[in-house]
Amino acid sequence: MKALGYGVYLQFLMDIRSRSLLITCYLVPLLFFLMMGSVFTSIMPKSQETLMASMTVMGVSMGAYIGLPPSIAEIYGTDIKKMYMANHIPAYFAVLSLFLSAFIHLMIMSTLIYILSPLLFNAICPIHPVFYFMMLILFVLVSLSIACILGLVVSNQAKLTMVSQIIFLPSIILSGIMFPTSLLPSFLQTIGQCFPATWGYLLLIEKPLHLSNILILLIFLIVALGICYVLLRSIRSSFCHFK
Amino acid sequence: MDTIMHISHLKKKYSKHEVLKDISFDVKKGEIFGILGMNGAGKTTILECLEGFLKYDEGQIAIYGQIGIQLQSSALPAYMKVKEAIALFAKWKHTQLDEDNLQTLGIDDIANQIYKSLSTGQQRRLHLALALMGHPDLLFLDEPTAGVDVAGRRALHEMIMQCQKQGMTIVLTSHDMNEVESLCDRIAILRQGEMAFIGTVEELTQQFGRYYYIKVHSEKGEKVYTTQHIEQTLMQICQDYQKQNLKIFNMSVNRGTLEQHFLAVARRNEI
Repeated sequence: MKALGYGVYLQFLMDIRSRSLLITCYLVPLLFFLMMGSVFTSIMPKSQETLMASMTVMGVSMGAYIGLPPSIAEIYGTDIKKMYMANHIPAYFAVLSLFLSAFIHLMIMSTLIYILSPLLFNAICPIHPVFYFMMLILFVLVSLSIACILGLVVSNQAKLTMVSQIIFLPSIILSGIMFPTSLLPSFLQTIGQCFPATWGYLLLIEKPLHLSNILILLIFLIVALGICYVLLRSIRSSFCHFK
Repeated sequence: MDTIMHISHLKKKYSKHEVLKDISFDVKKGEIFGILGMNGAGKTTILECLEGFLKYDEGQIAIYGQIGIQLQSSALPAYMKVKEAIALFAKWKHTQLDEDNLQTLGIDDIANQIYKSLSTGQQRRLHLALALMGHPDLLFLDEPTAGVDVAGRRALHEMIMQCQKQGMTIVLTSHDMNEVESLCDRIAILRQGEMAFIGTVEELTQQFGRYYYIKVHSEKGEKVYTTQHIEQTLMQICQDYQKQNLKIFNMSVNRGTLEQHFLAVARRNEI
């Protein structure tokens, strides 16, 4: 446990040093928030109701799908994995430390949006902040779990960029954060529902509040974690330490 | 001397290509054992089977003790500092790194550098330091000094010999015959997945000291012949070259170096 804790702390420091996660978890989402916040609220005053949730969903999706998978592939697609396993470091360590470190970064970024939205753009705060943060945690966990699958499955960085975009772009366009999903044709609405961003956004704007929305994200989380577990098991079994 | 590793009838195939063909040998406790061979002879395959990275098809491997591994190609996250890598690995291995080892390997000086800023030699020294954590009984080193400068090589050699003095057994692969001669107590030479020779460097020299090495430099390039019968072979070479209408520019005969003995076994280039 101590080793894992130190590993997460170390990963947090390396994320800051490497700047890549810094850009995808802080710089781009927050710049996007500042720019779109001023545009949205000036041309559509009603967007003050949803600004916090929409910018958070955008930031979390970017940090998770664009930021995390390359860091995972850097370890599991290279000799670093072999080096870790040769030195008795378990297969799950790298992905777990990256997951937890990215979780902390995304929560910090989301909290910044939570604080700055009402101050800068008169955005409306959630009625139940505790519920908002609980749903935010769930959404961040789901997004990171899917990002972990991408990083574990696709080891080629060029392919990974493409695959990440295939998940990221529909998450932004079809989830309702840029414009209401009711404006979309029905088949695009259906496709949008395949992405956690759609359900995360519905939960963060608190309307309509249905338990089924939470359940759908929980199913996403369980399935994604299950796939990660299977992938890590296959990585571990490829290292056949004899007894 | 007790046996620390016992390998019997080891076989490994990649689809239809047999990479290891019935390999058997023992490694004794406290010795430095070198595994040599040309590229593709099966050195890394056998080492990866021993290290547990590769599943073998048949045979048995028994290792009596803890193992430490320095891989030929290994890496760490680019932005991890040396001291952080040491602390992380120490925590997972529930141990601490010997301060003397850190000094011998010159890790102290690079403790605050990030991994991607290290030279190949510094990276190799760090990998060895990490492999030594927890004082393993048996240490696998896959080409430990490849790409390392003279000073780095010396530091690594000192460290390897210090490990042996501490009672560690070392199994290494290398292409550097000087390294093999100065470090290894016994060597095994692999030829196309088969064990071509096993014994001490002295035994190899004795066995092949009876041989002459004839280096012929002709229009066709340079070629080395190995023979026990110098007169007949020289005549035969001259006749062969004459038949092919090839001019011989230069021809030299010597009793052979360790490298030539190794090549004789590894290539089986006797005529």
